[in-house]
Amino acid sequence: MSGRDDRRTNDPLDLEALPGQARVVPDDEEGADVEQGSHGPSADPEGRGRDDSEKLDQYLLRRYHLYGDRRAREQLITMYLPLVRSLARRYASRGEQFDDLVQVGAIGLIKAIDRFDLSRGVELTTYATPNIVGEIKRYFRDKGWSVRVPRGLQELNIRLNKVIDELVPKLQRSPTINELAEAANATPEAVLEALETSQAYNSVSLQASPNGESGEEDAGLIDYLGGEEEAYDTMEDRTTLAPGFAKLDKRERYILHLRFFEGLTQSQIAERVGISQMHVSRLIRRSLEKLREEIGDLDTPQPPRSSDDDR
Amino acid sequence: MSERISLEVPATLSALSTVRMVLGGLGARLDFSLEDLDDLFLATDRLLEAALDAERLESLRVEMAVDGVTLTVVAGSFHSEALRDQVAVTPGGCIDLCTLLRRLVDHVDVQMEEGGFSVVMVKHGPNAGA
Repeated sequence: MSGRDDRRTNDPLDLEALPGQARVVPDDEEGADVEQGSHGPSADPEGRGRDDSEKLDQYLLRRYHLYGDRRAREQLITMYLPLVRSLARRYASRGEQFDDLVQVGAIGLIKAIDRFDLSRGVELTTYATPNIVGEIKRYFRDKGWSVRVPRGLQELNIRLNKVIDELVPKLQRSPTINELAEAANATPEAVLEALETSQAYNSVSLQASPNGESGEEDAGLIDYLGGEEEAYDTMEDRTTLAPGFAKLDKRERYILHLRFFEGLTQSQIAERVGISQMHVSRLIRRSLEKLREEIGDLDTPQPPRSSDDDR
Repeated sequence: MSERISLEVPATLSALSTVRMVLGGLGARLDFSLEDLDDLFLATDRLLEAALDAERLESLRVEMAVDGVTLTVVAGSFHSEALRDQVAVTPGGCIDLCTLLRRLVDHVDVQMEEGGFSVVMVKHGPNAGA
């Protein structure tokens, strides 16, 4: 039975009963569909008003929850995918593929649509956003680790990131392990162990080929940086022309330039670029890993010696 | 009073985690900041990774010493001339191992010894100048 047949009923919620907000377009290979702005409810280039989008949401939600219309559910998912992409982009610089994060976020969206309570009278956006973000965060907590890390350490690591963000401005310097331990209510050994687990957390991104990164992942970093730095273009040529640097993007080159040619500390770079010191640390490691992969052969012109030669 | 810890770990990248953990413990005792520790970790990682790239090693030997204000890391013995050149010579114009190590720690030296060499890296704690 086609979805179009479903709609041609005495259902008072017939799609065609909502002129100007949704209309049935002619059948194509996939059957009738509700036409909606290609960017979803979060951006409506056709000028459709927010109220209209909300009415359409409510209409589709009712169709799905009251009448079991799976097509309405699919339509909602399609409509809200731009929201999922937008939220996933915030987390795209953490070493996971952007597309994977969108998939995970989509699960959160589907859960939100399925669990939506019509009687609550809230907007789907309001309800879906924490569900999508929650799903992505859960993914990072449970699956983003290339080496299995005990839950307690994962949680301590997450807590430490917050503690570091709080302590750095308070102390006006990078905190010590003992200060972190005290603030996180943990032992120094546990802090060291938790920080070490972040190596496992990042190892995927450290190994990732720079060519494998999509522009959208870069966009996630741009979100942190807050805009294009003019200084990116005024770096000394020696940095930009150095072997392997072509593989790095402008921001990565800029940060390496500041650290290793200008001699700025991670904290100073963090302040200048507008990201956390921990983030600078991760970016430096990731960039150096890319360089190592790219120019490793140049740095080691001699083939590995045999054990007989070496000893 | 100087304290020494000697580690011999398998010549694999995954074994570097063990080295970092011990370094972290010593650095914490000297009240190293998180940033200083991270620099020390990065320097040690890069040196040992370069050694693994340059030589066929069966194990990595790292000796760490603390004297109250300074942490010294001695890695070796290595034999590759290419590695020695990477540590000792900076051709300029790129982030070579030499440049990188000298930015990350306070002192780097190549110590020649019979049949090879070791790399010595020194990082001063926050109370070193006091």
